[in-house]
Amino acid sequence: MPVDPMLASTLHGDWHPLFWAAATLGVYLATRAIHQRHARWWTSPLLLTWLLCFALALSLHATYGEYIKGTHWLVALLGPATVAFATPIYEQRAMIRKHWPILVVGIAAGTTIAIGSSWILASLLGLSPDLRLSLLPRSVSTPFAMAFAEDVGGIPELAATCVVITGLVGASLGELLLKWLPLRSSLARGALFGMGAHGAGTAKARQVGAEEGSVAGLVMVLAGLASVLVAPVLAFCMHTTL
Amino acid sequence: MLRRTNILLSRNRLLQVVGLIAIWWACEALVQTLRLPVPGGVIGMAVLLLLLACGRIRSVWFSRGSAGLLDHMLLFFVPATMALLDHPELFSLTGLKILAVILVGTLLVMVGTALSVEVCFRWLSRHAG
Repeated sequence: MPVDPMLASTLHGDWHPLFWAAATLGVYLATRAIHQRHARWWTSPLLLTWLLCFALALSLHATYGEYIKGTHWLVALLGPATVAFATPIYEQRAMIRKHWPILVVGIAAGTTIAIGSSWILASLLGLSPDLRLSLLPRSVSTPFAMAFAEDVGGIPELAATCVVITGLVGASLGELLLKWLPLRSSLARGALFGMGAHGAGTAKARQVGAEEGSVAGLVMVLAGLASVLVAPVLAFCMHTTL
Repeated sequence: MLRRTNILLSRNRLLQVVGLIAIWWACEALVQTLRLPVPGGVIGMAVLLLLLACGRIRSVWFSRGSAGLLDHMLLFFVPATMALLDHPELFSLTGLKILAVILVGTLLVMVGTALSVEVCFRWLSRHAG
């Protein structure tokens, strides 16, 4: 795509942070409106916003540094969003009190499969140790994943990207799986999204139902905590075996 | 006065979001000074949950703001993915391999988690009743 040199040079000036924030928000609002009319997996706002912003950044020859300068506050909002999980969890406290053993089983199974499958698959495909370690924490939400990757010796930014791709893939995959798996309980439907696709999955689970949404949120947070606790142990094992 | 705060907080979504940001901010500062290995947001969630459980805070003061933030959570992930701009080497066979690991891994995690929870649920409900 040919780029007007005038436009390109202005974009590298002082106001480009504002431009990237406005572009991201604008594309997001537009794709959300499209998704509300045509709810298909390929109209997912996360997918479309990512594709369109990436294409725009590529055609304007922008770097990640320039892009993130204007949009890091959006990533920072993940913090308050994590705090916000307290409300749905509190409102579903009766269900949690009743079913906590099931939730613990689900989280233990999910965390084991997540770490085990990433490691085995990455080894089978012959990926380098750096990449392999960055792939380990992809089932947990970004703030946890970056801490985890640092602990076991992966690359935090790459880990964050793997986390996002997992969310993207998982939110769509989960929707298909719901049609195929004979799941009667909202617990299983919620745990599927929360464990497999963290934040993106939780947002999708909230669309499936209120109970599914809060189970997914709870499972996501507990899985994140579990991985932060497991990371030092895993890091120790890695250093003794590698 | 207390009554007015109550009404104002339970109706204004933006004020609730500001409140959630304030909690996160304070906890992030705490994590930084004490060098805790857990993200500030998680501490903030634990604190808010504790306050709610003690009855110090009413959940309507935060429920609308929380729903708003959680509805748009997908957007907050987008900027981090742009890190790929600085890694053109991943648009290759290695990138495809990573994608394959993520795809198959996520599928296994989802099926494994959902089935173990479902089996557990059915077993427990049969033996309870």
